[in-house]
Amino acid sequence: MNHTIQVRGLKKSYGSNIVLGGLNLDIEKGETFALLGVNGAGKTTALECIEGLRKYDSGTITINGKMGIQLQSSSLPAHIKPIEAVRLFSKWNRAKIDFTMLNALGMKEIEKKQYIQLSTGQKRRLHLALALIGDPDIIFLDEPTAGLDALGRVSLHELIRKLKSQGKTIVLASHDMAEVENLCDRIVILNNGNIAFCGTATELTDKIGEKYFIHIKTQQGNSTFETDNIEDTLISLLHKLKQKGIHILDIKVDRGTLEQHFIEMTRRETE
Amino acid sequence: MNGFLYGVVLQWKLDIRSKSLLVTCYIVPLIFFLLMGGIFTSVMPEMRSTLIQSMIVMSVSMGAFIGLPPSLIETYGSDIKKIYKANGIPVCLGLVTMFISAFIHLMITCIVIMLLASILFEAALPTQLPFFFLALAIYVIVSLSIGSVLGLTVKNQAKLTMIAQLVFLPSIMLSGIMFPVGLLPDFLETIGRIFPASCGYRLMLDHGFCFENLWYLFFIFFAAVIVCGIVLKKQKDG
Repeated sequence: MNHTIQVRGLKKSYGSNIVLGGLNLDIEKGETFALLGVNGAGKTTALECIEGLRKYDSGTITINGKMGIQLQSSSLPAHIKPIEAVRLFSKWNRAKIDFTMLNALGMKEIEKKQYIQLSTGQKRRLHLALALIGDPDIIFLDEPTAGLDALGRVSLHELIRKLKSQGKTIVLASHDMAEVENLCDRIVILNNGNIAFCGTATELTDKIGEKYFIHIKTQQGNSTFETDNIEDTLISLLHKLKQKGIHILDIKVDRGTLEQHFIEMTRRETE
Repeated sequence: MNGFLYGVVLQWKLDIRSKSLLVTCYIVPLIFFLLMGGIFTSVMPEMRSTLIQSMIVMSVSMGAFIGLPPSLIETYGSDIKKIYKANGIPVCLGLVTMFISAFIHLMITCIVIMLLASILFEAALPTQLPFFFLALAIYVIVSLSIGSVLGLTVKNQAKLTMIAQLVFLPSIMLSGIMFPVGLLPDFLETIGRIFPASCGYRLMLDHGFCFENLWYLFFIFFAAVIVCGIVLKKQKDG
């Protein structure tokens, strides 16, 4: 396999607090890869070590390709205009400005505003535009849709898909499970600085087991039941409701969202 | 235009858009100059011979100690430095461009003061202009290097306001620009010598460009460069 990013035995501690306890990762070329974890799981530290923004205690990180980085929390001088930031970063990286990409990110409509006047979503789009300067091979996106409205999310997801179709490797850290499920080929779940799971969303579902969620809507409200035995539970539930004379308005059975599996996985790891 | 030059030009524009630098480098120093110039030359006419140097020391001290550090904190005390690092821009770029931009702004203010002082208050122009401008440039650079240390080492604006005043006020009160240092008690005279304003003022006076007034300024500058280098290296290493 052609590893674009290879991480071996990555360790990082802050004092006595071990944040990364020997992380191993292989990310392939053209892959969209998600890094998940609860707050404090070590995903931002892992990302920043891989990006070269943070020193680590031990381990090796090999990167094959040019990186473009969109940080979770980033800022620019208050009075800079988006086009000036793009020009500065382009000139410094000796890269041509891709106006098509800038227009796709809606930079045209904000070019005369100063950074301080931009909304959260506009700032996010600007930082993404800066990350894409110089046509990087690997794109790190840390919470890319945080603060974006529904339309902004959709257009960003389209852009991520377009970048993927161009063969870019995308490493995504997100709390939006639907986003991860829709966009990513593989997922890593970090827990206490170690990998709790690495694989596809389907593999995660399989690992968690045959878990079903039964959502029932009645006149008295909505209820969700969790079970490993769908047949028995469903029959028993329907029977009980009929006995009590409760009318069912709607019923839905699913195998759970990535979010539910993620919570279950981190819960098991913690236990 | 390469990245560095574009960075300097951009910083120059940002400084003009930022009202705070405009106030500390131009508006307040020039208002202070117009007021004090009028008062000094009418109360003590003999101050005409040193008015330009005095007002320059005040203006440079204000621009360097009060004007520059907040811009540095905006970059180095925030996530701006992170985005620079992430996008391959050297972490020192912000400091260097702000330093150069502030240097140009302060030189412009000083030239305006020099011209206006001779026209409005009949102040004596320096007789050795090349030495005067060299001394002025050295003094501005040294003052900005102290401002750089303040901006890089102090972590928040509230603390900075206080610490900047602790450097600014003795610089203008004890350096001899308001009244002769000989009138000060010995201990205040000694404290006054710690600040570069005292040496800078003497350096800009006619026949003041000598090693005696230079060595301490160079010492401060190199010490400041070392401190800035250490702080930037720490910032770079994360």
